[in-house]
Amino acid sequence: MLAWRRLRADRVGLGALGVVAGYLLLSLLAALGWVAPHWEAEVGSHYAPPSWLGAAPSEAPWDPAPQSHWPGSVPLYGLQDPLAPLLATLGPPPGGVLAPVEAPRRSTLPLGADKWGHDVLAKVIQGGATSLQVGLFSAVLATFLGTLMGALAGYFGGRVDDAFNWLYGVLTAVPYLLLVFAIAAVLHQKGTGTLILILGLTGWTGVFRLMRAEYLKHRLREYVLAAGALGAGHWRRMFVHILPNTSHVILVQLSQNAVGFIKSEVILSFLGFGVPVDAVSWGRMLHEAQNEMNLGKWWQLAAAGCAMALLVTAFSLLTDALRDALDPRLKS
Amino acid sequence: MPGMINHLSPLLVVLLLLAGLLAVPAPAPQGVAQGAAPPVVALKVLHLDMSAPETGFDPVLTSDLNTAAIEQQLFESLLTYDYLARPVRLVPRLAARMPEVTQQGRHWLFHLKQGVWFAPDPVFGGTRRELTAQDVVYTLMRFMDPKNRSPYRFLLEGKILGLDERARQAQLTGHFDYDTPVAGLQVPDRYTLAITLKTTDYNFGHAMAQPMMGVVAREVIEAYAADTAAHPVGTGPYRLAHWIRSAHIVLERNPNFRRELWDFQAGSDPQDQALVQAMRGKRIPQIDQVDIQVVEEPQSAWLGFGKGELDVLGLSGQFAPLALEGDQLKPALAARGIHLWRMSDPSIAYYFINQQDPVLGGMTPEKIGLRRALLMAQNDTEMIQVVHKGQALRATYPIPPGVAGADPNYVSLLDYNPPLANQLLDRLGFRRGPDGFRRQPDGSALVVRYTTSLSSQDRELDEMMKKALDRLAIRFESEKLKFPEILKAERQCQIQFRLSAWIADYPDGDNFMQLWYGPHTHENNAACYQDAEWDRLYAQTLTLPDGPARSALYHQLARLLEINGVTKISTTHIRNVLSQPWVVGFKPHPILPSVWSYMDVEPGAVSAP
Repeated sequence: MLAWRRLRADRVGLGALGVVAGYLLLSLLAALGWVAPHWEAEVGSHYAPPSWLGAAPSEAPWDPAPQSHWPGSVPLYGLQDPLAPLLATLGPPPGGVLAPVEAPRRSTLPLGADKWGHDVLAKVIQGGATSLQVGLFSAVLATFLGTLMGALAGYFGGRVDDAFNWLYGVLTAVPYLLLVFAIAAVLHQKGTGTLILILGLTGWTGVFRLMRAEYLKHRLREYVLAAGALGAGHWRRMFVHILPNTSHVILVQLSQNAVGFIKSEVILSFLGFGVPVDAVSWGRMLHEAQNEMNLGKWWQLAAAGCAMALLVTAFSLLTDALRDALDPRLKS
Repeated sequence: MPGMINHLSPLLVVLLLLAGLLAVPAPAPQGVAQGAAPPVVALKVLHLDMSAPETGFDPVLTSDLNTAAIEQQLFESLLTYDYLARPVRLVPRLAARMPEVTQQGRHWLFHLKQGVWFAPDPVFGGTRRELTAQDVVYTLMRFMDPKNRSPYRFLLEGKILGLDERARQAQLTGHFDYDTPVAGLQVPDRYTLAITLKTTDYNFGHAMAQPMMGVVAREVIEAYAADTAAHPVGTGPYRLAHWIRSAHIVLERNPNFRRELWDFQAGSDPQDQALVQAMRGKRIPQIDQVDIQVVEEPQSAWLGFGKGELDVLGLSGQFAPLALEGDQLKPALAARGIHLWRMSDPSIAYYFINQQDPVLGGMTPEKIGLRRALLMAQNDTEMIQVVHKGQALRATYPIPPGVAGADPNYVSLLDYNPPLANQLLDRLGFRRGPDGFRRQPDGSALVVRYTTSLSSQDRELDEMMKKALDRLAIRFESEKLKFPEILKAERQCQIQFRLSAWIADYPDGDNFMQLWYGPHTHENNAACYQDAEWDRLYAQTLTLPDGPARSALYHQLARLLEINGVTKISTTHIRNVLSQPWVVGFKPHPILPSVWSYMDVEPGAVSAP
């Protein structure tokens, strides 16, 4: 409650909280399919520009659904077609030529269209949902792993501490991206779940270091010794007595990691290790924008870049505000 | 110790050159002042880039296109392709005239040009060394020597009478016998070579025109046995002057190259007239030096060309939109006098479906209908516009334009037509389940697995396929493999569905049709298509030369591939090449990897260093 009062006093922090909450709400609605559910629908023409730019001057037009020949009217050069009897019951259409129907497409969209004609606005919203999902879940996973291992290492010390420190040392000795690629290669699967695993499994080291230090500090404090004297077991002392006193570290780490992992998702997707074909994320969009820039189609880059910049900035400001509000040593 | 001397002498040459460089500048101003020095003739240099490093210059050991381009200039094969004729046509190179082919393509009699000299080399001991028919025999034998492990061994394997037996014997003894004559390679006199094949093969002439068939001298190969790749000594118009491995290659004119005049006939292309006018009667080669930099990053090559540091540039797909508007050069580039050469590659991109796959394979009407529906759902126009950015053409026939046997008017049975594909699936019993996706007629799940590689363009192929399957309400699964793994899986018939590509080794339809021949399963027949009727028709084509009879059979073969839902031909790539205004006599060739000796650069129009 004290923390909430402190946070409320922080205008910037409150604003950042509003932005992050807005993103979360939008992502939740998108994930539930209430907002922008049909991002895969090809509603615009290819590379339709944003509405306020006006329709593009018609470049070399091409027919997205060209006429095609009716199989029954094509010469078979004396061969037998086992499907001929079936085809005879289906056709032929007048004139012997078929034209598949294509729904009319819009020449402009609010934020433009990508190469297939997908609405960039819908993609930004759906991509945000994916990015936030990856960022939050992997941050939770990393924080959980880091907290658990940090607690064990810091509380027990000795051999246990050595073992965890060794693991920490090994993981941090490998350059980050190299480590990510190694784990991606081992998992040998693509998908949002894989991405969360990769980021979670590589990202716990920072949390571990801080939590170990906290536990080292707290395990000899009077209140922990008192709890021990009253008969509390190790488990109870670690997670019921000490853990609440380190919650500010956990919360700050959680939000800091979320920001970091949203950016990591972008990098991984940019490098082609990202989300699968039927999903969209900001990293995916930036990756596509690489080739679009050669064509002078900047709107997808701008939309995904701005959306991400706003969220990451807001999240960082929120983290700062949270640290100020939660750290008990900073009593104003 | 001879090795020692060999290493010393280049060093001496370099020292002498250095001394020369240091010495020359001093007297030069005097000469200018007196006005008595002969005018300094500027060297004509052609500046080029190469997208991947070379792999050494022993033709029998190499297989990549970049190295082949250089070997085409260093060495000469018996035959080659005419510079301007389209469709491409075989012409003699080392041969004095086209070979006499008898016994239904089994007996090939070559008469060699006289007065063809190898480039100077210390191995020849200061004398000029003439090329003879025996050198050609030695060169052909080298392909079958197990020690060489030649990637192009297949060009000769199982073809020449007695040569395979010699190779088997070498496998046993560990030593290839080059000295005893082989029945199929007879040398009646110094300038005549009689080749006897095991069976009819009208395409043997194409094998003899491949750049790796460039003739070498036995004493050179044996003298440099440890590093033949670094000592190319051929009879071609150029020789290797300077080589920094994987970085920089300089060719200079071969002083021993015979007197040959530029005398190509203009083809149907209107641009040929000016080209012929500029070049006719000139001595080959006109360019003194070819300077090749290895530039792996297309961006660097593009910028280098823009600054005039490169004279000719093959435009990679991603930069096509920067240089082109539709099929025209951008006005800004055209105003600088830059020329665009645009031609369709002798290649096809084609979908294939594995005929031995448990889900998609089989010859029941349901399976055939399912495969044809899958192929009919592929939108090739969108593929060309979005994925290839307009730099491809719709193709329907397995043999692309410019290759013997092509038919540009062939009408596909499998044109893009989702409504018809859906009707077919409905009638064949592929009903939609409660989740909206189709199931197999027996009610079990239906998932189509599409295999692509890892690049960003492959991701676009995935998206295309996802869209195609969505049109049919069929579940899509993406399989991502590295390119060598894909090739391995194809050989094991493990790939279910893929968009593959093939570019002509030689410009004959057979090079494409063999992709579906039953016995080629586990080699090139990635569809693992084994159909007695198809194989019987294909075997007939092998006994026929190019002509209406073979063409009629090819049409049946192509149609049968569509009827059985094996393959849909999708696109043919367009090759875009840019050349600077000072480049003369240049026209890209669909098959020849390089044409530098037929080109010229305008004197005075010196490109930046």
